[in-house]
Amino acid sequence: MELIDFFTDYTLRTITLGTAILGAICGMLGSFAVLRKQSLLGDAISHAALPGIAIAFLITGVKDANYILIGALVSGLVGTFWIKGIVKRTRLKSDTALGLILSLFFGFGMLLLTFIQKMPNANQAGLDKYLFGQAATLVEKDVWIMAIVTGISLLVLLLFWKELKLLLFDVDYTKTLGFNTRFLDILITTFIVLAIVLGLQTVGVVLMSAMLLAPAAAARQWTNSLGVMVVLASVFGAFSGVFGTAISASQNNLSTGPVIVLVAATFVVISFIFSPSRGLLFREIRFRKNRREIHLKKTLTFMYHIAKNHENVSHPHTIRILNNFQGFTRKTLTKLEEKQFIQIQGNDWAMTEKGYVEAKSIFNQIGKEND
Amino acid sequence: MTNAQIEIQLIAALVAVACALPGTFLVLRKMAMISDAISHAILPGIVLGFFITQDLNSPLLILLAALTGVITVVLVEFIQKTGLVKKDTAIGLVFPALFSIGVILISKNANDVHLDIDAVLLGELAFAPFDRLFISGTDMGPKSLWVIGTILLISVVLLFLFFKELKLSTFDKGLATTLGFSPVILHYGLMTVSSVTIVGAFDAVGAVLVVALIIAPAATAYLLTDDLKRMLLLSCLFGIIAAIAGYWMANILDASIAGSMTTVLGMLFLFVYLFSPKQGVLHGFFRERRQRVEVSLLIFLLHLQNHTEEEERHVNHLREHINWQKVRAKTVLELAAKNNLIHTSNQIISLTDKGQEFTDEALKYITTNKATAIEDLKERFFLFRG
Repeated sequence: MELIDFFTDYTLRTITLGTAILGAICGMLGSFAVLRKQSLLGDAISHAALPGIAIAFLITGVKDANYILIGALVSGLVGTFWIKGIVKRTRLKSDTALGLILSLFFGFGMLLLTFIQKMPNANQAGLDKYLFGQAATLVEKDVWIMAIVTGISLLVLLLFWKELKLLLFDVDYTKTLGFNTRFLDILITTFIVLAIVLGLQTVGVVLMSAMLLAPAAAARQWTNSLGVMVVLASVFGAFSGVFGTAISASQNNLSTGPVIVLVAATFVVISFIFSPSRGLLFREIRFRKNRREIHLKKTLTFMYHIAKNHENVSHPHTIRILNNFQGFTRKTLTKLEEKQFIQIQGNDWAMTEKGYVEAKSIFNQIGKEND
Repeated sequence: MTNAQIEIQLIAALVAVACALPGTFLVLRKMAMISDAISHAILPGIVLGFFITQDLNSPLLILLAALTGVITVVLVEFIQKTGLVKKDTAIGLVFPALFSIGVILISKNANDVHLDIDAVLLGELAFAPFDRLFISGTDMGPKSLWVIGTILLISVVLLFLFFKELKLSTFDKGLATTLGFSPVILHYGLMTVSSVTIVGAFDAVGAVLVVALIIAPAATAYLLTDDLKRMLLLSCLFGIIAAIAGYWMANILDASIAGSMTTVLGMLFLFVYLFSPKQGVLHGFFRERRQRVEVSLLIFLLHLQNHTEEEERHVNHLREHINWQKVRAKTVLELAAKNNLIHTSNQIISLTDKGQEFTDEALKYITTNKATAIEDLKERFFLFRG
């Protein structure tokens, strides 16, 4: 498959557009899920949608994407609110409630699916694509639905932007300001469920949660602003969708879901390592730099203690007397010489005037901090 | 019942019990979702192990896959420790990625591998009796029976050996550490046992439903008892019920055994969730209603005590004054009258001696802030509860 196919082939264009939109809406709403510490809720919801898909098919008897979406939506919402009910009304903690609903609903869904498969002359072929997703089945109508839902959720997000932002970061304050937190909670949860249900056809029940989390978790590493994070997450999501679809379309026998998830996971790994402010790489570099600087300062103050006992601060001393001091290495000495704080001649070192002033100021500073 | 049917039910019951034991501790330690992560993340381990051994029941494969499970836990904890994301996000990122790798490995080699995606999600319990273990020509029963039996035996032995340590570290981590039990060893021990169990059960019930077998019996039992031993026994019992009832349900519907086992577990949980004597939703609902009536009664009695003038104690006035609806006022009045706390003459209500005594004591408890003592007081005075 050539890259140019993407722009000429009608089917491929539809599919690519669909997964891009899906990635964008997932990133957008996933940001809220991640920041509200509801990351695993997505996992539970997507699994909980399965019985809805099966029941919708059992009732209507046709494999119409719209009915199935509605079924999935209803069953996802039932699962979500049951989770909230379990946490609120019993002593079970949220992780137990999530795992419980996730597995019980999914098991029931699988029971129904296998039941449907065995039904005589059932037109069931293709229901199991909802397990791992098959982007190839997207048609223009599906893309339109996705686009419309994305538009609506964008509108709602903009409309309730400051309320939702407040809800994310300070629930109690939101309450005291008189906002209806229950309504806001239901609003954002419903949209998250909606995004998950939209993605079932493309990414599948099992892996949909990663689609929600990964772009948001990646975006979180690059910024501390909610607005930027939502936009970035949408971009990451869209790219994961497009790349994932492209890769899975170029090979036989590859469900789209796992590929998209792996692309999104790559974004996460890159963000974890290379983000300038939070990333592991730069954190390690900063850490080492700080350690080197502290070594340098420690050595310099140690020298200062020796030098200040002499009338002439630049009186040479042998390097050996530094040996019982821990922070000292050859490298620190050369570094200090480069900065012209000391001069090295053979086995001797001597503090320069500049070094003495610097060391004195460091020493005084430490003294002040200790006070 | 044919031999194969008995064997399937036996395997299912052993799997359920083997899952319920670590499940109980995972639920109590608030780590239930880690089982979800492990069950998904072992897939690449299983697939790689299968490429090497070509046998789903080989011990090497089980060890390899269990190792993947433990690595998952370590990876999740590593990501969490970097502080870049919260723990739940870390879980949610790690397992789909590993699971995806597993799924891709399977689908890329779909032709030459006796391992398909349906088996990953659902297990192949129905086929378990056909893969038999032969020792020098003698039929020793299904292989998976031996596998899960061994795993169960090991976890039961470990449970008996370390019961006290596990119990202590589950309920009071700080005390366990000060007494010298290493929380790290116990934690990773539990994680290893869970991983091995999940791998053993994976073959029978699949990736997602093993989570149900781990969490659901323990969660259901937790709603019924406060005693750890009883909770362990109850969750084993629920597991066995689910295994046997699930098998027959699947038989009737001609559907997946694992799916119907889960459905039975779901129904059990729903029932207990609604009707558990102490933790159930209905009980909570009634308790809330009773407490509301009792609080109203107390307010009402205090009002009576505070007012000696007759017009303040007139039936109609009370309705206006305390601002109750008619029905609620009636319930409270009836409750008070039934317990001989008040008597009414000419539409004027006054406290009886018993009512006076009750109100005095209640007031004393309220002002000294000993809320628990009120319950005793109510026990002593009330013959009929609201």
